Amino acid sequence: MRRIVAQARKELTQIVRDWRTLALALILPVVMLMLLSAGLSLTVNDLPIVVQDFDGSPASANFIDAFRASITFHVVAWPVGKSAEEALSSNAARAVLIIPPHFGRDLARGVNTPVQIMMDASDANTAKLVAGDATQVAAAFNQQMSSATQAAPVQAAMRLWFNPGLSSKKFYGPGVFVLAISMFPPLLAALAMAKEGEQKTILQVYVSSISAHEFLLGKIFAFMAVALGEALVMSSLLFTYFGLALAGDPTPLIIATILYTFCVATFGTMIGATIPNQVAAMQAVALGGFLLVFLLSGLMFPIQNIPIGLRWISNFVWGRYYIEIVRDALLQGGGWPAVWYKVIFIGLIGSTFYTLAWRGMRKMQVKA
Amino acid sequence: MKNISDLLTRLFSYRMRALVKKEFDQIGRDRRLQISLILPPVLQLTLFGFALSASVSNVRLAVVDDSRTPESRELISTLTESKSFKLAGYYSSVNQLGDAVSRGNADAGVVVPYDYARSLARQRPTTVQFLLNATNANTADISRAYAQGVIQTYNAGLAQQGIRVHAQPAAASDLARRGQVQLQPAFIFNPGLVDSWFIVTGVLGLLLILNSSIVASAAMVREREAGTIEQLLMSPASTTEIIIAKITPLFLLLSLMMFAAIAVIKVVFGVPFHGSFFLLIGAGCLCILSGISIGTVIATFSKSAQQAQLTSFFINPPLSSLSGALNPVEAMPKWLQPLTVFNPVHHFATIVRGTMLKGGGFMDVWQNFVGLLLFTIALVSLSIWRFRKQLS
Repeated sequence: MRRIVAQARKELTQIVRDWRTLALALILPVVMLMLLSAGLSLTVNDLPIVVQDFDGSPASANFIDAFRASITFHVVAWPVGKSAEEALSSNAARAVLIIPPHFGRDLARGVNTPVQIMMDASDANTAKLVAGDATQVAAAFNQQMSSATQAAPVQAAMRLWFNPGLSSKKFYGPGVFVLAISMFPPLLAALAMAKEGEQKTILQVYVSSISAHEFLLGKIFAFMAVALGEALVMSSLLFTYFGLALAGDPTPLIIATILYTFCVATFGTMIGATIPNQVAAMQAVALGGFLLVFLLSGLMFPIQNIPIGLRWISNFVWGRYYIEIVRDALLQGGGWPAVWYKVIFIGLIGSTFYTLAWRGMRKMQVKA
Repeated sequence: MKNISDLLTRLFSYRMRALVKKEFDQIGRDRRLQISLILPPVLQLTLFGFALSASVSNVRLAVVDDSRTPESRELISTLTESKSFKLAGYYSSVNQLGDAVSRGNADAGVVVPYDYARSLARQRPTTVQFLLNATNANTADISRAYAQGVIQTYNAGLAQQGIRVHAQPAAASDLARRGQVQLQPAFIFNPGLVDSWFIVTGVLGLLLILNSSIVASAAMVREREAGTIEQLLMSPASTTEIIIAKITPLFLLLSLMMFAAIAVIKVVFGVPFHGSFFLLIGAGCLCILSGISIGTVIATFSKSAQQAQLTSFFINPPLSSLSGALNPVEAMPKWLQPLTVFNPVHHFATIVRGTMLKGGGFMDVWQNFVGLLLFTIALVSLSIWRFRKQLS
């Protein structure tokens, strides 16, 4: 035990010595949490739209006002002579609302009147959101204009659970939190381990009285401490700036966090032990930590959307389970019944990494 | 005039060719550099393009049917028959449904009231409640629109069967009826609403800038790491020649990568190409140049390849997340949106989408083109200045 602590202390001292690694450990996760959670959001508001009103009646002015009042849109001016497509292709607007002549007259006569909304669908998701919102605005307008006599027979009442304000910050905050923990601690761990191989200091370890397990655990505990520190700093941000709070039983989150920090620290150590070259090890961690956890964990988009050929990989992505646990603890509050097996998966993946790291370490002697 | 002709003769001088050849040879020997020229475009484009899709389909719908009548079952089957929803199971109470949603067994729930069929028969409006897991705001927003769409269609079907609702039957007279606005959405530029078109056109910009900077910083720092930079200085070549000779092979190889990436976008993802090819290539070349310059600047601040890579960790995340490459700029917080003006990736992504998807010409994207050009000039000057300073 004494030797494990000494090893861990040595690692932490080495981190503090280099300003680049220190900043990487402490500042970058916070910066990333702020930037990326903003940079991933998909729900838009205040989109510029152009209105072409060929009617010019009080009714059409009312209809346009309904769009002006919506927070999703803001109406921008567009010269009458120019075509609607031009507004879209020059990025002046994301959608064009075209009100036909006789709009007001048709409405007054009781004839249904078509209004076209043309959307820039080069961004398919935004186009869908815009279509949905525009339909709601039009439906509300119809409801308001028609007398109570012709209400629709079946009405849908929508209840939004867990995140009633539809704030994307609350969804991406936990995701980026996990991404940062999956990236930086293993990066530092891999660099430290690869350095031992690159500078041949591993040979000194072999001749010392420390055992392989003690050496590995000492390293892993040091980087677990780094990861836990990052988790603390970032979660304070989650609870303040992101406006999140514990939604239920906090014990799954606490246990999963400890297991997950072990998992990522071991992952980094394993990479460092198998690839005794700092630059290559860094690339491997970037691939595993960033690409897998960013793309195949459901961080940004639902996992069900990934084609089957790639989707199975996400079952082995450690970050995926932790993201689900964090989101559950902070938003849904399902507690142990919802996440117990995910905690076990994290533990399993972590111990696999440990075994691989241990085996990799035995071979390091040969390479060095 | 004399200066220019002087520069041109120097460009094609024997010394210059020899320097360029040396750089090519060095890249030819560096396996890792070659891999990072070929692998990322293919891997990243396909992975990002396939894995990142925001589309919402097969939302798992849990049902509480308190009515248990043919009418209510018809409503439920209308919902679950659509591609948007699929049945996740029946529950006997709202509490159980709530548990199912919070455990993740269902994404949404629908509650049909016990008096559903009776209200319809008596021509009174009835309310069906939808419970959506709004953890993911985007998915919730889209599934809400789906649910409303299905209910609207269902209502239209009822109206055809002659079921109308009269809240106050006495006041109902057809004379008071007003017309309804029928909104007809038209999706321009991507009528099939293919998600990957947006993602891959954005990833192209990320790829050009980030990959160019990584490759360039690796190539630049190597000379320093090996200590051969002094030997270069002792040679009769001037600093300008050294810099141009360093940049030329990288630029040529990265341009090849750009063509490969555009081919992947065109062939694998079937993105249409409506606009000017030369505009796209021109913007792409500017992107590569700014990427190389970023890499050079990083390299001049680092003593080893490891340090260069660590430094790029500080530059790449903000560059990629504040670019609008993977999500619309309008979705970012208001105070961050102006920052995208200082991001070459943002300008390039707008140009790519403008030319490939929208078929726009130079006049449509000239602002972004000028922005990108200004950036490239600024970055190239900065990198040359830093490189000279390092040499002297």
